[in-house]
Amino acid sequence: MHSNAYTLGFVFVVTAILGSILSFTKINVRDLQDYNLKADVKKNILRSLSFEEDVENPWTNDLVETIFSENVQAFCVDKLGNKIDCVLEDVDIEKNQSQLPVYIKVVDGDIAGIALPVAGKGLWSTIYGYIALEPDTDTVLGIQFYKHGETPGLGGEVEKSWFINNFKGKKIRDIQEEIIGIEVVKGKVNLENSKSIHQVDGISGATVTGRGVSIFIAEDLKRYEEYLNKVRTSGTI
Amino acid sequence: MELFNSESKKIISDPINVNNPISLQVLGICSALAVTIRVDQAIIMSLAVIFVLSSSNVILSVIRNFIPNRVRIVIMLSVIASLVSVVDQLLQAYMYDMSKQLSVFVGLIITNCIVMGRAEAFALKHGPSKAFLDGIGNGLGYGMIIIIVSFFRELFGSGTITLPNGGAGYVLFSIPESWYAAGYENIGLLVLSPGAFIILGLVIWFQRELIGIEEEA
Repeated sequence: MHSNAYTLGFVFVVTAILGSILSFTKINVRDLQDYNLKADVKKNILRSLSFEEDVENPWTNDLVETIFSENVQAFCVDKLGNKIDCVLEDVDIEKNQSQLPVYIKVVDGDIAGIALPVAGKGLWSTIYGYIALEPDTDTVLGIQFYKHGETPGLGGEVEKSWFINNFKGKKIRDIQEEIIGIEVVKGKVNLENSKSIHQVDGISGATVTGRGVSIFIAEDLKRYEEYLNKVRTSGTI
Repeated sequence: MELFNSESKKIISDPINVNNPISLQVLGICSALAVTIRVDQAIIMSLAVIFVLSSSNVILSVIRNFIPNRVRIVIMLSVIASLVSVVDQLLQAYMYDMSKQLSVFVGLIITNCIVMGRAEAFALKHGPSKAFLDGIGNGLGYGMIIIIVSFFRELFGSGTITLPNGGAGYVLFSIPESWYAAGYENIGLLVLSPGAFIILGLVIWFQRELIGIEEEA
């Protein structure tokens, strides 16, 4: 039997060594991890703006940076739709209501798509994503969900292509041109219903997640109402 | 050098074959169910487990005579947890897409009964070189089963075979569109956990039948 002092000393030494190894590893890879995270966010913005990944030439972090900087203009607007200064990477879309990030896909000087961050509660977690609109600020160009903690196979299906492809071509404005968002229905969309242009098929077994998605898409899009109206009337950024 | 004499060979081959941690001892099942949706995930997970298992075995074996008996579980756990955290950090840095897919299951290698089990049952009683071989053997035994399970789950569940390539995965094979047009359908059940249970059950049955082991009633 070892003495108490020996036991304590041993545990202390082992902990110190293991702790140093861990911090050494973290310090060495932190920059790379941050870069990965930023590239991943950009990758999702590009996907929502319907940039296609080339199978022969997959998106590396550097390639994503290049495509992003060449084709996308990123800036913030305020609630009244005026451009304002901000550090995009530091904007928390959940908490910050005064700085609203906008990502515009520009092709030959014209707006080809507008990606806006959306985030909100699902069943277990906050779901983060980007919704992209066509220049008419009404039709959905694409949507991506990139971070969530929903149940795999149920609510986790929000990130799957069968779910997000349903959003393409749907309209976020009603007849009065008010922004109403997209509703995730329970079950299948009834195509004979006049509202079906604003609706997508739900995920079976994930009603609460679907309801959450409908609510936060509508709420988050409304924050951009003034800006989207400006783009709609002027046709410029 | 005693490496690769008959005893060493037995240390490596037993856990792959007659004493497989998954199919014979039925350990490490949770991660075997979780990361076997795609072959590339299973391969990376196997490599991570082989690394953690062999290094934790070696480290613990080297310090085995100094570990106070009363705190040995705590020491084993901290060594294993540190190794797993290092693997997790490296994956996040160098294989970001893969680390997103494996998500919490890399961290959960800590609670994989195989790792603790081998540390307690083998590493604390044997020298470093044998402990290393034991770690490799058990890691291979684990990896072999989850790669087999993932092969069937991905092929029949998603209709593809994906290999790891540092990015989102290289699709080695996918069932041609013409098959789908002709009425072929993927078995959705296999993508979900119950599907993994069924495949794993079949693998366990097959391997036990092959070895000829019968459970005592």
